[in-house]
Amino acid sequence: MRLIKHSIERKTGAGSATLLPEEPEDMWHAYNLIRPTDLLRASAIRKVISESGSGSRSNERVHMTLTIRVTKLDFDPQAAQLHVSGRVAEENKHVKLGSFHTLDLELQRNFTLEKAEGWDSVALDTLKEAVNQDAKAQLWAVVMQEGLANICLITDHQTILRQRVEVNLPKKRAGSTDHDKSLHRFFQTTFDSLLRQLDLANPKPLLLASPGFTASSFYQFIKTQASNGANKPLQQLVPKITVAHSASGHLHSLAEVLASPAVTSKLSDTKFARETQLMDRFFELIRKDDARAWYGPRECELAVERGAVGKGGGVLLISNSLFRSQDIRTRKRWVKLVDEVKEGDGEVRVFSSMHESGRRLEGLGGIAAILTWPIEDLDEEVEGGDQDEPAEDGADGEGDADGGVDGIEGVTGHDEEIDFL
Amino acid sequence: MQRVKNLGYDEDEPYDDEDDVYEEEADPGYTAEDKDNFAALTPVVRAELEEAGVQASDKDIGDSLWHYYWDVDKSASYLKNSRTPRTQQQGAKKEDKPKAKSKFDEAAQKSAEKAADWFRDVPWTHIPPEMEGRIVPEEPAMPMPKLLGGSSKLAKLAEERREKAAAAANVAQIPAPNGVLSSLDRLSKPQDTKENDTPQPKAEPKKYPIRKKREPTPPPKEPTPPPPEPEEEKPDLRASPTGFGRTLASSQLSGHRAASMTLKDMLGSEITEDPFKGPSPDDTVLRAQQHSKGLTNTSKTKQSSTNGLAKKTEALKLGENTPSAPAQPKVRSRGLDVPKLWAEEKSKRKASAAFVVIGHVDHGKSTLMGRLLLDAGAVSQRDVDRYQKQATELGKSSFALAWVMDTGTEERERGVTVDIAQHHFSTDSVAFTILDAPGHRDFVPNMIGGASMADLAVLVVDANQLESGMKGQTREHVLLAKAVGLKRIVVAVNKLDSTAPNAWSQDMFQEVKGNVVKFLGESGFAKEDVMVVPCSGLSGENVAKAPEASGPAAWVAETDLTLLKALEQSVPSEVSGDALKRPLRMQVADVFRGGITNPLSVSGRMTAGNAQAADAVLVQPSGETAAVRGVEVNGEPRDYAVAGQICTLHLTDIDPIHIRSGDVVCSAAQPVSVVTSFLAKIEALDSLLPQSVDVHLGRLHVAGNISQLVATVDTKGETLKKKPRMVKAGQTALLKVTVEDDVPVEDGETVVLRAQGGTVGFGTIERTSA
Repeated sequence: MRLIKHSIERKTGAGSATLLPEEPEDMWHAYNLIRPTDLLRASAIRKVISESGSGSRSNERVHMTLTIRVTKLDFDPQAAQLHVSGRVAEENKHVKLGSFHTLDLELQRNFTLEKAEGWDSVALDTLKEAVNQDAKAQLWAVVMQEGLANICLITDHQTILRQRVEVNLPKKRAGSTDHDKSLHRFFQTTFDSLLRQLDLANPKPLLLASPGFTASSFYQFIKTQASNGANKPLQQLVPKITVAHSASGHLHSLAEVLASPAVTSKLSDTKFARETQLMDRFFELIRKDDARAWYGPRECELAVERGAVGKGGGVLLISNSLFRSQDIRTRKRWVKLVDEVKEGDGEVRVFSSMHESGRRLEGLGGIAAILTWPIEDLDEEVEGGDQDEPAEDGADGEGDADGGVDGIEGVTGHDEEIDFL
Repeated sequence: MQRVKNLGYDEDEPYDDEDDVYEEEADPGYTAEDKDNFAALTPVVRAELEEAGVQASDKDIGDSLWHYYWDVDKSASYLKNSRTPRTQQQGAKKEDKPKAKSKFDEAAQKSAEKAADWFRDVPWTHIPPEMEGRIVPEEPAMPMPKLLGGSSKLAKLAEERREKAAAAANVAQIPAPNGVLSSLDRLSKPQDTKENDTPQPKAEPKKYPIRKKREPTPPPKEPTPPPPEPEEEKPDLRASPTGFGRTLASSQLSGHRAASMTLKDMLGSEITEDPFKGPSPDDTVLRAQQHSKGLTNTSKTKQSSTNGLAKKTEALKLGENTPSAPAQPKVRSRGLDVPKLWAEEKSKRKASAAFVVIGHVDHGKSTLMGRLLLDAGAVSQRDVDRYQKQATELGKSSFALAWVMDTGTEERERGVTVDIAQHHFSTDSVAFTILDAPGHRDFVPNMIGGASMADLAVLVVDANQLESGMKGQTREHVLLAKAVGLKRIVVAVNKLDSTAPNAWSQDMFQEVKGNVVKFLGESGFAKEDVMVVPCSGLSGENVAKAPEASGPAAWVAETDLTLLKALEQSVPSEVSGDALKRPLRMQVADVFRGGITNPLSVSGRMTAGNAQAADAVLVQPSGETAAVRGVEVNGEPRDYAVAGQICTLHLTDIDPIHIRSGDVVCSAAQPVSVVTSFLAKIEALDSLLPQSVDVHLGRLHVAGNISQLVATVDTKGETLKKKPRMVKAGQTALLKVTVEDDVPVEDGETVVLRAQGGTVGFGTIERTSA
């Protein structure tokens, strides 16, 4: 994404920024930047019906620039498309004030965003990250086991499941070659699906991961296909393939694969490496039942309140799905939390809910903290507080948990589901 | 999204590609070894050739040696053949050629003999008898108006001519069977008929004759009309086949009928074995309407009638009748009262048990089982010798016995069991099913699937490597065996023939035994349910036979049972009759093609209920109904199968895409519930947080999440703490688990949770409702 111009007042955060999305990943950034009640200005096509004096109607498609006040966002990760619905905030000769419009943000077309509540620290960080041009690691991965293959695209901020191949393989039995034949077909199907996804002209690294020998057999299969000669570009892909081990063929095994040294050396994704490191540290602490690791919204809030997430190793891990809440108050709550930690010189890590490390965090409710000093029985204190407002907490927990499941599935629009809850 | 299956299958599999590769690899340059071979063998071949008076260049000899892979005799004879008779052959060919040419030129005008020549190279002599018999004999019996392309006037004309010719041939043949006419017949007609017999393999030549049919030439016409007819069964008219038809196919006809009869008699059931015998779909519908009243089970009594003719006609009718009720299962139910039968037959049958073989990788599970099968006589020595030879070629001669179980190509190449292997054998008192589990940690999911089908476990421990196993899969497998509810365990302390410093060290065995028994006790196995035997799978001592009294293993015979005896003693009691009366539940372990007559079969262990032919079943989670076509237990057809048995059900009326392994075949009336989340009481082996896990329910393996830690509980089920921050290893907790796909589960089922390649918890499902 390119920042075309911005006029944001440092103190109040008021102002607007004009951005140019250049690649599909930028839509993800836009999705995290744009919030309900923001003002969004972008080019649009609108069908205008005009009625002449004699009563005859004429349809016309008019290109125009519309400004809407956002009410709803719809992000399709597979197609990398972002649809923003809202009510028109600036009238022009074709469109009345207050009428509804859905803007489809497009690549290579500017849009201007103005924050209703002003640009808060989290929004500014997101903007900074979105505009950052250096790290652009991209990687294809096939996580497979016999009969199941998940083909996905891994970028800096997202893991997008592009295709799932599931084939029933007959088990081995003496005197039958059905298993071998089906396995060959399974490879062929996976290979064909993969080729439909890949851009062979500009091949990205490809990672094959599986338990057992499936990945290496598939690698052999691709090599054989490449050496047959019909598909020249395929030969350029072969040296870019890495074979790795995963515990299963399910997508959540990817986190383990991406953390393995064989892959990190190729990926050189520092952001992800740091995030994985933090998550591992967090899990290690909690496994040891160390009272410095806590997770869950209320626990973390309480810890921050007491200043336990501060200088000297305090880290707040927070998923960006929390900032996408429909409710402004909830959003402010998280922003405030982040600001507090920053004031106390603690580290804040915003995890992408679509990335592997972020998914682990989603499982924990989207938020976790490593404290500077241990607080015992934080949860019991929370439980006491719970009784004042049990309904809210319950709703929180449910919504976050469900979001985590959907996130792994990689299905479109899971975040909306959270928002509506 | 959920089930992407068989995307764009391409039936032509590019195996030929691999051949190319081999050629490319082989051709460029001979190795030093090859050159030596050339040098050594070329003179030998030359000498042999000179004896036969044949000249050949070094290069030719070299080439032939190369192609015959250094076989001197073959190369020599090839060279002889390719040199000496060439002149004669060429001469012969020259004689042929002009004729052939003229034939081609006039092909459009000439008829019978030409067509015969055209198909001269059609390999009709090796056609399987059933194929011939089915079509040929029916022809003469069918002087019916033709329905297909033959309904034109030309066809009628041809038909008349053919009949006349046939009659004439008949007349001529009776007095002089070897007469000119019959030999002429033989020249032209039979070969034409053959053309019709092999329509599929010879698609190309068929096109050509069709054009020729514009001329009313009898022979090529004759074959085309009959194909739609064979369905019309008119046994009365069978009296007057043509002469040639009789000579050609009468024997095959009777043979075929006889075969189908015996099959029917043997099975004594209404299953149609011949899929091509049934009438066309239209006929089926018509007949179903006609026979709808006659569906009562009368045919069976009729069938037992001794009258041969009646039997024959009955058999024919059966063939039409069976598939005649499309709405109902294709097989009619015998209406057996299975629980009652099962109880009645109790005294007659052998005890049966399935055991899963578990243990760390390379501790010799598959080899031990290969040995057991060999010594129990379930596998012949000849097979094992063959494996021995093949394995030696691959440089893995010690894997020969394991190959009895490891039938997969990949398994053999790598010497590692990948998936569960299933094998049956029986002793005098017990019928056993072996489920040989893979030991490698990557294939633990398969092991769980196998263990969930077993009645008892055999733990194989390498006496020399107990430690590595305890850190690895010996420990995990034992815990999983416990998790899936196995109570009894037989420990085979293996590889005692190679203990250091001296083989068959009794001290070593005792030490290993002590350790293993202690560990099993800690894992929750009762002492009386554990048996330990020393043995050696590779050399075979104390597996099925006790070791010799003189060898170093002599002490074994005095103190311990053989593995086989120990197994026989550990067979658990049969499932109670109640389990049989519950609604059917069977988890599908494998979906496969059972053969031509059974295109879709599923195998697995029946956990509840019973099944017999014609039962209507439901496959969950797809919710598709199917009908049971046949039942097999231990590879033999049975009338029924009951809970506790590992069986194969042949299904019909369902598309294969609706079944995959891990699904549950259940009774249509009381289907198993399908959920995406459930509450489970889990014993944690590692600390548990809300996290991603692999959820294993027997053979079913799906991705899931622990979405909520509901509470930790103590052994009595009392809640210790609600909403704990985490569940520590060793604690028991109620967890809410969500899964990505719909899964068919029931309360009380065993569930295993794994993460990052290790088992993190196991337990039972408390509540399936979300």
